[in-house]
Amino acid sequence: MNAKRISRRTVLRASGVCLALPLLDAMAPQLRSAISMAPEGKLRMGFFYVPNGKHMPDWTPADAGPNYQLTKTLEAIAPFRKKVSVLSGLTLDGARAHGDGGGDHARSGAAFLTGAHPRKTDGADIQNGISVDQVAAQAIGGESRFASMELGLEGSAQSGNCDSGYSCAYSSNLSWRNSTSPLAKENNPAALFDRLFGSNPSNGKVDDNQDPAQRYRRSILDSVLEEANGLKKSLGQSDQRKLDEYMYSVREIENRLGRSDLVVRTDGDRVDYARPAGVPKELDEHCKVMLDLFTLALQTDSTRIISFMFANEGSNRAYTQVEISEGHHELSHHGKSAEKQEKIAKINRYHMSKLAYLLAKLDAVQEGEKTLLDHCMLIYGSGISDGDRHNHDDLPILFCGTAGGRIRQASHHQFSKETPLCNLYLWMLRQFGLKLDSFGDSTGVLKLT
Amino acid sequence: MNEARMILNCSLSSLTFSRIGLAILASSLFSLSAQGDEADLAKQWMTIQPLLLQHCGDCHTGDEAQAGIRLEKYRSPGEILQSRKTWLKIQQQIEAGIMPPVQSEPIPAAEKVKILEFIQTATHAVNCVKDPNPGKVTVRRLNRFEYANTVRDLTGIEYPKALEFPGDDVGYGFDNIGDVLTLPPILLEKYIEAAEEISKKAILIPPPSKKYKSEWSGSQLKIEKGGGANGNFASLSSAGEAYVYEQIPWPGTYKLIVTASGDQAGDEPAKAAVLVDGKQIKILNVPNKRGEPKDYSVTLRLKSGRRKIAVEFLNDFYRDDGSGKKLDRNLLVEHLKLEGEKAGAKIATSELPESHQRLIPQVPANAEDRHGATLNVVQKLANRAFRRPATAEEISRWVGIAEKVQDDGESFEASIQVVLQGILLSPQFLFRIEKQRPITGPEKYAKLDDFELATRISYFLWSTMPDDDLFRLAAKKQLREPQILRGQVERMLKDRRANQFVENFVGQWLQLRKLDEFQPSKQQFPNFDDALRNAMKRETFTFFASVMRNDESVLNLLDSDYTYLNESLANFYGIAGVQGEQFRRVSLEGTVRGGLLTQASILAVTSNPTRTSPVKRGKFVLDNLLGTPPPAAPPGVPELKDKGELTGTLRQRMEQHRANPACAACHQLMDPLGFALENFDAIGRWRGKDGQEIIDASGELPDGIKVDGAIALRKLLREKYQDKFLRCFIEKTLTYSIGRGLDYYDLCTVEKIENELKQSDYRFSTMIFEIVRSDAFQKIGSRE
Repeated sequence: MNAKRISRRTVLRASGVCLALPLLDAMAPQLRSAISMAPEGKLRMGFFYVPNGKHMPDWTPADAGPNYQLTKTLEAIAPFRKKVSVLSGLTLDGARAHGDGGGDHARSGAAFLTGAHPRKTDGADIQNGISVDQVAAQAIGGESRFASMELGLEGSAQSGNCDSGYSCAYSSNLSWRNSTSPLAKENNPAALFDRLFGSNPSNGKVDDNQDPAQRYRRSILDSVLEEANGLKKSLGQSDQRKLDEYMYSVREIENRLGRSDLVVRTDGDRVDYARPAGVPKELDEHCKVMLDLFTLALQTDSTRIISFMFANEGSNRAYTQVEISEGHHELSHHGKSAEKQEKIAKINRYHMSKLAYLLAKLDAVQEGEKTLLDHCMLIYGSGISDGDRHNHDDLPILFCGTAGGRIRQASHHQFSKETPLCNLYLWMLRQFGLKLDSFGDSTGVLKLT
Repeated sequence: MNEARMILNCSLSSLTFSRIGLAILASSLFSLSAQGDEADLAKQWMTIQPLLLQHCGDCHTGDEAQAGIRLEKYRSPGEILQSRKTWLKIQQQIEAGIMPPVQSEPIPAAEKVKILEFIQTATHAVNCVKDPNPGKVTVRRLNRFEYANTVRDLTGIEYPKALEFPGDDVGYGFDNIGDVLTLPPILLEKYIEAAEEISKKAILIPPPSKKYKSEWSGSQLKIEKGGGANGNFASLSSAGEAYVYEQIPWPGTYKLIVTASGDQAGDEPAKAAVLVDGKQIKILNVPNKRGEPKDYSVTLRLKSGRRKIAVEFLNDFYRDDGSGKKLDRNLLVEHLKLEGEKAGAKIATSELPESHQRLIPQVPANAEDRHGATLNVVQKLANRAFRRPATAEEISRWVGIAEKVQDDGESFEASIQVVLQGILLSPQFLFRIEKQRPITGPEKYAKLDDFELATRISYFLWSTMPDDDLFRLAAKKQLREPQILRGQVERMLKDRRANQFVENFVGQWLQLRKLDEFQPSKQQFPNFDDALRNAMKRETFTFFASVMRNDESVLNLLDSDYTYLNESLANFYGIAGVQGEQFRRVSLEGTVRGGLLTQASILAVTSNPTRTSPVKRGKFVLDNLLGTPPPAAPPGVPELKDKGELTGTLRQRMEQHRANPACAACHQLMDPLGFALENFDAIGRWRGKDGQEIIDASGELPDGIKVDGAIALRKLLREKYQDKFLRCFIEKTLTYSIGRGLDYYDLCTVEKIENELKQSDYRFSTMIFEIVRSDAFQKIGSRE
């Protein structure tokens, strides 16, 4: 069926519902379907982060250029190799110590999308940089209902010291709205589903029924904003910053209430997707559902920018799914043990199988002549190269998708030593039409085409 | 403290460690609390200043001094302290090797260490008598546990979904640190959803009243005889009736409004009767003339069902007056309107949820009463939600919202529901606000007001809002009276809400929350399951709670002769005679266990999935019990290239690792502490062997002290490292209680609490009381 652009109002008029504003709520869960859309090949930006680096000998292809041999770890992406480029030689300088001592894991997580050198602190004066996805979100986020989405499979760290004097905020959050405000991840697929299609208030539905709670939502938000404004004056500087964060969030949701008309749907291809029940206990299932929703969020143009963190940086998860009972972080300090390195490689392949699942999903969504994957700039990688050395040069990075055809031929690029990862991000931001001279520690724009 | 003036060397360990490099660490780790007094420091300055002048004096003396730093002008450590910021910069530059610049001669390593150590001491000296800075706590958002508890206590509604809220990051080891608690949009979304759900559950809106109304123009009325429709009128010119049949929705009282007029003639006005189902209800005199219609209201009691409602013309009159003029009396029915209202079903008070009755203790009796009732109810709610008396401006804002809702035709209850929904989203509710206030009186720093203090205490010990007792004492401004404060602390520790302190503080201090994610190898530990995991946690929580509630010595945490077990855990430990799944106090005399360190929870959480980790266990002791965290492994740990892979038993591998001098300094400390616990496997079971190897639990600390096995370790901790433990425990609890990382100026508070604790036989409640009484807890300082 030829998908066409259609507003939600139109859908409702067509279906004989004449309320001014309809209930996404009522639609999606009851129909058990989200309805797909085609935003005419808009570019999407995504990030898929895995912690603790890679077993690099199994990662990097021996030869550069489009005809590179897939390595053992990269084998999983064979079906999409025409749409996946391997970027070798990129460096995340901000994650290096620069005199701050240990804490490579926290720094890698914090620096991966920001290119900044996070300040070493357990809490007071947290300082990182704005992340690439948020720069993009601030520029083009207004075109979709959610400016960006931050997803993951784990919540914030539970207790203790996350990494050598660094607050856990650094190792649990990839996306930073500004240098002091990390954006927490959603890891509950049921809640994510509700945000996208269901009963979450941020959907901006106005329910024209007897429910005062929803009818007065907006005047309540106005009132609390007013209250915050008054309150702010009586507070000191660090407190004001917290109030600013609050006020930003209130305004963001007020905007979203106003943007509910942006939901673009067609009555074409139905995507039949049941609301997940909660957080699945099994990692495989959890990951699958989150990646399904990752795809649906892009497909329905609910957002164009997503960051996804498979696990918090420094995670010591035991991957019993592939019969590895030692913790990942513990193994990554392999001390050159061949046995441990093989286990790390196995974990790397496990992660890659998840990426391959996502790529298959994205590639199955037709958008005009191309697929959703084609319209993606999806970065897969880690902020550490070898987990034992904690080095941040020659990172394992993949570029998935062809940025809407801007990348004519997928290839293994071997960039010169110390090329900042941010040069890649600058390239990506420019594809969104941003006229930026630099981002993070960029020294130029990567040549990808 | 007898000395009038005392300068203390801050030993707040993490600071010292992060500032001073590894070289100092090894030698000073166990002598950190040495207190240099002023004279000693001054003497040191006599030797340090010449060194600085020698290496830096060329550029940093005299009027032309670079960056305005004149090293010759500082005559005493006191003057250094006064220029603290400058000296911290100097320290940083020297430490990072930026100064002296490359082209100059470097400072020899030994001298550099001395200089740095001196600056550290001098810049971190605090004068405890002269009002040290109590520090500034960044406004704290309620974390998810606090949110759930507060909602429960404010509204009576349990909202377990809150426990899945995102965004509570951890700083300084805890998830209640103001600086780290952010409020991203995704969390606000969850708050909005929660506010709507909670307010709906907490307040029941009575079903709205039903209204009935029907109208007929005169021409719609039926007339069988005596007249007919005439324009818009039902015109009755002789005896007859105009009527309708109407389906009456419910039995009850209705109001019929008859709009009528008459052609008047004869000696009486036109008369009409209102009939229901043929039965006359009322007679109306209709004296007004045609063209001047009037409304006549009749109250009807109607049964439900199809009813005939009629207006009958009673007194027809027609006569020719003889002169050709006609005298004619007619009735004109112009309009009928029937209205009824059925009051909403009242919910019996007994059927209202308790939350509803608490939140809405009164409803307005009538319209005049409405404003007063709204004001009362909103004020009570806002006072509790904001944890202080709400201001007039705040109350009028929320009353305004309520009245807007009422004016839209909603019930009183609905209007309060909307207010509750809003208040749950207010920054005054979501954040624990402490206002900046001018300093009054001679003191250097302002005090929190009594309500802010009550709030701090309550979130510290209960993770929730103050209860009525605390509010009352705050209102009377009595909370600061030591007797009363001590009484409150003791009451609160005994209250079951203090379990929240145990779970949230201990769960994080001892990292028990991480136990939930611990996945020991199924092959090696097939018996480990969630029941066992929970029992482990339960043991530690119950044990700690027992020390707390029985007001025992805090040293019992290190070494005790009892614990709390149920049958499964007792079997797991190999302790006989415990039957049943409830936890009870069990003597440990004659066993190897006792104190926190030998509890399975801690032994497991410091292990790897397949094996024990003496390093992690040793580090755990240093981090969490002794408060002397070792620095992270230096970046770029040299690869063991030449030697290839490490081989042998765990101990042998560790020893090879330690042979590397870069690793030795710290591992010499961590490893012996960890190896002393080697007789406990990765899930905390006792063992004699690891595989084929007989366990060797012995080791030697850098200062020559030998430790062999768990019992010796406990003894060592309790006897030799008691002070370190006390200080560490106080620092952790203080951090949790005020929600910020400690700084050098907090040293006085920590020392004072330590002294009081020692003088009271280490009683648990003394520590809590002294924390709550401290300036750091009660005053607002500044951030340095």
